[in-house]
Parts: sequence; C-alpha cells; structure tokens
Amino acid sequence: MDYVNDWMNAAESTGTSIMAAEFADGVIIGADSRTTTGAYIANRVTDKLTKVTDHIYCCRSGSAADTQAIADVVSYHLNFHAMELGEQPLVETGAAVFRELCYNYRDSLMAGILVAGWDRKKGGQVYSIPIGGMCVRQAVSIGGSGSSYVYGYVDANYKTGMSKEECVNFVINTLSLAMARDGSSGGVVRIGVITSEGVERRVVLGTELPKFYEG
Amino acid sequence: MTQLNFISFQSILSYNGSAMVAMKGERCVSIATDKRFGIQAQTVSMDFPKVFEMGPHLYLGLPGLATDIGTVYEKLRFRKNLFELRENRRMSPQIFSAMVSNMLYEKRFGPFFVEPIVAGLDPYTCVPYVCNMDLIGCRNEPEDFVTGGSASAQLFGMCESLWEPNMGPDDLFETTSQALINAFDRDAISGWGAIVHIIEKDKVTTRELKTRMD
Amino acid sequence: MATVLAPPVSESGFSFENCKRNAELIKKGFPAPKATKTGTTIVGIIYRDGVILGADTRATEDTTVSDKNCMKIHYLAPNMYCCGAGTAADTEKTNAMIASQLELHRLNTNRIVPVATANQMLKQYLFRYQGYIGAALILGGVDNTGPHIYSIYPHGSTDKLPYTTMGSGSLAAMAVFESRWHKDLSEEEGKQLVRDAIAAGIFNDLGSGSNVDLCIIRKGSVDFLRTYDEANKKGVRQASYRYPKGTTAILTTKTKNIVVEELSVRQIEAMDVSS
Repeated sequence: MDYVNDWMNAAESTGTSIMAAEFADGVIIGADSRTTTGAYIANRVTDKLTKVTDHIYCCRSGSAADTQAIADVVSYHLNFHAMELGEQPLVETGAAVFRELCYNYRDSLMAGILVAGWDRKKGGQVYSIPIGGMCVRQAVSIGGSGSSYVYGYVDANYKTGMSKEECVNFVINTLSLAMARDGSSGGVVRIGVITSEGVERRVVLGTELPKFYEG
Repeated sequence: MTQLNFISFQSILSYNGSAMVAMKGERCVSIATDKRFGIQAQTVSMDFPKVFEMGPHLYLGLPGLATDIGTVYEKLRFRKNLFELRENRRMSPQIFSAMVSNMLYEKRFGPFFVEPIVAGLDPYTCVPYVCNMDLIGCRNEPEDFVTGGSASAQLFGMCESLWEPNMGPDDLFETTSQALINAFDRDAISGWGAIVHIIEKDKVTTRELKTRMD
Repeated sequence: MATVLAPPVSESGFSFENCKRNAELIKKGFPAPKATKTGTTIVGIIYRDGVILGADTRATEDTTVSDKNCMKIHYLAPNMYCCGAGTAADTEKTNAMIASQLELHRLNTNRIVPVATANQMLKQYLFRYQGYIGAALILGGVDNTGPHIYSIYPHGSTDKLPYTTMGSGSLAAMAVFESRWHKDLSEEEGKQLVRDAIAAGIFNDLGSGSNVDLCIIRKGSVDFLRTYDEANKKGVRQASYRYPKGTTAILTTKTKNIVVEELSVRQIEAMDVSS
C-alpha cells in the first residue's frame, strides 16, 4: 500500500512562462512566479529572473534544480571573467557560457534559458538557449510551457524600438495571456528592465494583471 | 494472501529468517534472538549465531541476510578492536552504534542486508543503551525496546504490551523471553530455539530457552 | 603495503562494492528492502524576531511506525537548524556532514556563518547526487542579514520563502499557513501557528504522527523545544502483564562474571534537551 503521496519523487520544475524583449534603451525580461511538483504548487512567488552579473540576467524554465545550478556556475565564471578583464562581460559571452554548459550536458539537463542583458558594444540583447543547447540571438523571445499559447500575440504586437513603458506593457500583456491559458504558469508577473543604468525590478500582482476575454 | 504450503517472502532481509529484540531495564539490558538459519522455508540449522559479544558490556545483534551477518560482524570486530588499541579505552555502546551507522551509510547505494541492534551498558557509567538501525544506518535510540528481523512486526506488538519501565534483571528476562517466544511462534521462518543475554554491571547471564521446534 | 592483517584504510565517500551483487539479487526476484522514511510534516516560518522550525516525530518503514518519537530537527550551526524529510538516513547524514563543514568554516572565518552559505552547500551536495540522496530539507536560521528560511529539494533546487512546508503532510500544513500567516507574528502567535500546522499534518496525513517538536531561532539565542506538544497521549495501561518468574522454560544457563578492575564514580546529569 502506498499511502504516502508522491512528493519525494516529483522533481521541482518550473512549468513556466518566460519572456525577454529588446526595446530602444535595453531589454525587458519577464516571468510568471509558479513552481510545481507534479500538480502541487511548491512556490507561488518564485523569482525566475536570476541575476548573473550586474547587467546580465537569465530567465529560467525547466527543472528548478538544473537551472539554479547552471545559473550559479555561469555566475561564477562570468564574475571571475569580469575580474580578470577589468570590465563587465558582454551579453554574448554570458550566453556562450550558458550554451557551453547546456550543450555539453544536454543529455542530463532539462533547462530552457533566456539570457538577456545590456553591454556597451551591442546594447540590449536577448539570446535564447532551448533544451539541447542551441543558442540564437532574437529581438524578442518567449519560453516555457506557457509560451506556445502566445506566439501569435508576440508576432502580432512586437515592434522594434519601442519605448520602455510600451515594451513593459507588451511583456505584461503577453505573460498574462500565457498564464491564463497555461495551468503550469501563474501567480504574479515579475519584470526586469535592463539598461545601461543597471536593472529595475517590478512586480505585477495577480489581482492587478490586465484582463482579457475570459469566456 | 494466505497460503497453506509455501512461504512467500517480501524482501531479501527475510531470506534466512530471524527474530531479535533488545530491552532496557533498571541498570541492565537484555538482548535476545532466535537460533534458526534457513533458506526460505527450509530450515538448515538450529544454532546459528546472530548475537555477538563485542565487549564485556556490549552486544551486537545482526538480523538479516546470513551471508552479510558474517561479513558485517567481522568488519565491525576489526574496526572496534582497532579503535580500542589506538585509543586505549573501551567503546561505549553509543560510539559503537555510531560506528556501525557510519559503516552502513558508506554503502548507501549498495547496502548490506542487515538491520543491526546494539545493546549494552556504558563501560564507565553502566547506563543502559539499546539501539537499532535500518540497513543504511538510520539510528533509532528509544527509551524502551528495539526489535528486528522477519518477526519484527510481531515483536513490536508483544513489546508494546509487555514492556514496563524499571524492570530488574529477572523480570527483564521473563519479559524479553516471552515477547520473543510468542512473537516468533507467529512467524514461520524464525524460532527453533532462542538465546537471551541479560547484561548487568558485574555479570552477563546467557540462557538458552526451550521453545517449539516447528 | 596492504596485507590481510593490515588492510588499507578505506577511502572516504560512498562505497559501491555491493552494488553489482545487489543488482543480481534484484534480477533473481528478491526485491530490495525499503529504508526508513520519514513520511513527514516539517515546516518553517519567519516571525517578528527570527524563525521557527517545526516537525512531527514519526518515522516509518513501509507501513510500520519504526520510531514513535524521532528527532527531525537537526543541528547545523549555533545559529542554524534544519528539518529533514524523506529517507531518514540521508537527512541525518547529510545534515551531519554539512554541520561539520559549517563548523570548520566558522572557525576559519571567525564569523557567524550566513544561512545562504549552508543553503549553497546543501544544494550543491544534493545536486551532485541527482536526487538519489532522498533528503528534502527546510533550513532556517538567523545571521547578520536577518532571519532566513529555505526549502531544499532532493534534486538540489531551493526556494527562499517567508513560510514553507515539506513532506507528505506539507499540503495540510500549508493550508494552515496560507490562511493565518502574516509577517508581524509575535513569538507566541508564531509558536501556536507552527504547532497547528504540524498538528494538521499529524492528524490528516498517515505518514506523519506522534508529537510536535519546535525550534525557535532568534538573533543570538535558540530555544529547542523537544516535544513542545504531545498531540497523541497514550492511555495509561490499567493492568501489568508481567510474567511471574519461572514462566520461561530454560535449557541452559551460563553466567559470565565481569571483573570490575577500576571503579570511578561520576555524577550523571540528565541530558539537556532545552537547546
């Protein structure tokens, strides 16, 4: 008789909605806040926007353990690199370190990561590293289980060179739509605005999210 | 499922069959075991040692797979003797059980199939100590009694009702013996004689019991 | 040189020498025995002056209650304790191992070890073993940056939260927290809330039971309240089932006298379980 529920064997995973988009002065990153073990919400206020360096952040999706471990290792490498270099690493370099790990350990990792940030050379950049360890630069990118519901919305509404508030609203709208349709995404929307100034963090509570057609 | 001819067993721990119990008394402890060695339903021998004297006041019981009983006993005897030679002092039951526990956990991913019981008195203070652990060394150090082997469920029931605090050596003997005998009479793969050790400060009394031989 | 009489000192770390044999036994149809699990309710909260950890005290081996009063709140450092759920041996040994590393770290740095350090050590250790070390932990402590609670999963992921629950009774306990936790709890309110959360696990989850243990960590002081609440009092036995002397039939008796060569009298103090 198995009378104990299966909390032990279910790995914590972030069935997620994450997103990153370039705008005029940098990038906006966004994510929902739900972490699940099976059907149970283990954390409803998760921060999936993880700092790597002062100007590079990553959005994590997939296994929580794997993505946390990767982010820690990359953070270590990049900060070491920054010390040797004497200046902030490029976003491109950050993405390359992520890609290296995700590709080399592709058989044992479950991680879909968006790397976003700002550097002096190329300004705001977004790199997408899906499962398998490929790396590609995109102007706007979405990830996680909730993303499949909003590809059309993103294609229809993204414009290059948006203003900050315009782009923040676009990200909040996209994530709200994804969270409404995807059972593994939900909670609050966390936002990060990365510019030459550094990062500005915002939270949109579940009660303050924009409303769309609900049937 | 009730079967009339063949014994189905649950795990490798009950391949040879055993019943073992240790109890705390007033300035004394007991440790008792059955004597059977079998291969599943077939009884092979009726004087198989499963409780070992590790020191004047220290006894070790190893219920489980017979082949591992021998291996684990020899490994522990070696490590304990080495400790006592190096440190020139006796091992207390607590330290000994910590050593057993650590040795078993070393084999966390490929364990020995034994669930050891440690019973004894502290060599200097004579405070009673009993302890059992699972096959990967998770210790359980209760205030009353510990059980082990294929009849451990029956022994739990017997001990829960028979044990009482502050028993002297004579009462402890009767209680331990009756708990063991009545428990293994309800287990088809343990029994066939029993040995009870009563450990006191100045002596250890070892008695062989008359039991059912079926 | 290693000989039969002087075998080499075994290397540290896990030994896999029995794995092949055990795999063969499983192949022959002998299922591997189950280790002791703590189908558990463990919780942790942040309150006004620090953190409170709570745990039930039941350990199970399959469906048998193997320990009715086990300790699931483990010591890590003077300012940190850690609750464990999952495979009992894993939680015990993992905590002991990290506790020793933290003590060395504390002596090396001569500072109060940050809770984040313990969290990082635990998650890296568990991640290395890819979930095979079945330890689900709630780490709580107070350091120079304030009170912290982390929940750590067997695969090595961690969450930093103001209140959290783990184990098979986590759903029952979380229901209590979600309805009653707020960030300005006093110590008395906090203790009551944690007690109620553990009691919810004890009474509504089959894998949890027996008593409530609490551990309150403030800046500079710790209260370890072992058996804070006896949620299940056992009835007093009315009669004695003691067998009269001579009931058991004895075949042989051997007495071995122990010569006490040296006698030292020492005052034995009762074990201090308050901290």
